[in-house]
Amino acid sequence: MSKATEMHEALGAFDKTTSRWGRITMIIGLILSLAAPAYLVFFSGLDIEVASVLAAFAALAAVFGVIWIVEPLTYFPILGASSMYQAFMIGNISNKLLPAAMIAQATIGVKPGTRKGELAAVAAICGAAAVHLTSLFVFVGLLGTWLVSVIPTDIVQTVQFYILPTVLGAVIVQAIVSQKAPRSAIIALTVSLIVIFVLVPLIPGMNLFATAVAVIATAVLAWVLRDRKTLGATENVESDALPEGPVY
Amino acid sequence: MNIPALLPAAADSNSTDILAIANSPVLWACAIGVFLVIIVQSVIYMKAAKTAAPHIGMTQDEIKTSFRAGAISALGPSLAVVMVAVALLTIFGTPAVLVRIGLIGSVSYETAAAAIAAKTAGAELGGPTYTQAVFGLALAAMSLGGAMWMIATLILTPLLKRGDSALRKVNPAIMLVVPGAAMIAAFMVLGIAELPKSWIHVVAFLSSAGIMTILMLIAKRVNKPWIKEWALGIAIILALAITYAATRL
Repeated sequence: MSKATEMHEALGAFDKTTSRWGRITMIIGLILSLAAPAYLVFFSGLDIEVASVLAAFAALAAVFGVIWIVEPLTYFPILGASSMYQAFMIGNISNKLLPAAMIAQATIGVKPGTRKGELAAVAAICGAAAVHLTSLFVFVGLLGTWLVSVIPTDIVQTVQFYILPTVLGAVIVQAIVSQKAPRSAIIALTVSLIVIFVLVPLIPGMNLFATAVAVIATAVLAWVLRDRKTLGATENVESDALPEGPVY
Repeated sequence: MNIPALLPAAADSNSTDILAIANSPVLWACAIGVFLVIIVQSVIYMKAAKTAAPHIGMTQDEIKTSFRAGAISALGPSLAVVMVAVALLTIFGTPAVLVRIGLIGSVSYETAAAAIAAKTAGAELGGPTYTQAVFGLALAAMSLGGAMWMIATLILTPLLKRGDSALRKVNPAIMLVVPGAAMIAAFMVLGIAELPKSWIHVVAFLSSAGIMTILMLIAKRVNKPWIKEWALGIAIILALAITYAATRL
């Protein structure tokens, strides 16, 4: 057997194994992640209507629907087919998995986008997953649960009451920095201020649609008002100009 | 197995004792299941990589080195995620935090998703309207949203692999502008909607954004990427401390 055929067959086998088992494990992960809320909705005795779940899902789709599809498209050229099934289950792609893959490739001196690079990335993501699962299990699963049980109630209450504005304040800044799109950020700020302080008080029922309206208006305005010099023609967009990766 | 024993005695739609339901054994079982699935997947992938490596001129050592490099580089980011996850334990309970924030999702997306879901029920995340039923609704919405990412991955990956040119022809300028703008807008409008609630909400929001900005500026000035990794966790914990101080005034 020639060297080239051997290589071809070995890589074919690798692709077959990873895409088959990648899909199978991802589907099982998908089912398990849905089983928890399914239990709460149908069997726990809590009064949760399916209609209200669908309404919440629709509200979410209006806000994040585009991102659900765009993110896999964005990461595919960087990760390669086999790592896609790892990355979208392990999560924290841009801040953990991509750096892990790149450092591994640099360490053994292979280029991303090559077959060697792909194998190095797969091994690196496995390594990252091992560390991540261990630290989550020990520090969040075991220690975290204990920690919450010994924290005084009034601190727990402060966390519960004010966690949302606290998380969002920092996340907004992080999103602006990582997206490197000041124009979109200014549009988003202006639109959000108008929606929350003008439209919501004026229009009854607006509260329910505030998020979706602001997101869609910002997306449209950001596109219409884009910097046509750098983002005008389709061909001119260099791959370096891509943001560090979605904030997901 | 005795099913009634698995049902938490405290299931009460209107109770705000979230943790009674959020830490139920069934939710724990699902979370551990997701852990196991990822372990199985990693083992299969490592085996496949080790088998293929020699045929393309890679040594077992190079595969091992890659694994180790990935593991070491993940230490910092993983602990940073741990820090954020612990801060959210009292809102979502341990199993949901492990799966949604630690694994499949991320803190920014999942918190936003939970807030949007609570809003459709006329409730708020945390606070007196955040009942067990609202938590269930929020978890359902977060999980369905996360499922969409997985489904998109399952459908799109084989298509992209086949080199489906229609997908690659999507105007890259649109891809560059629209999703990023949508993401910033989602966080921005949810964040600003918190401001009219009380002056303490304003303190929480502004202190967190302010600390994050300072950390980002320092990270840029001294060129230390680890600061960026830890910034979110540090900003959330410090801002919570400031907010706690504000509630005592």
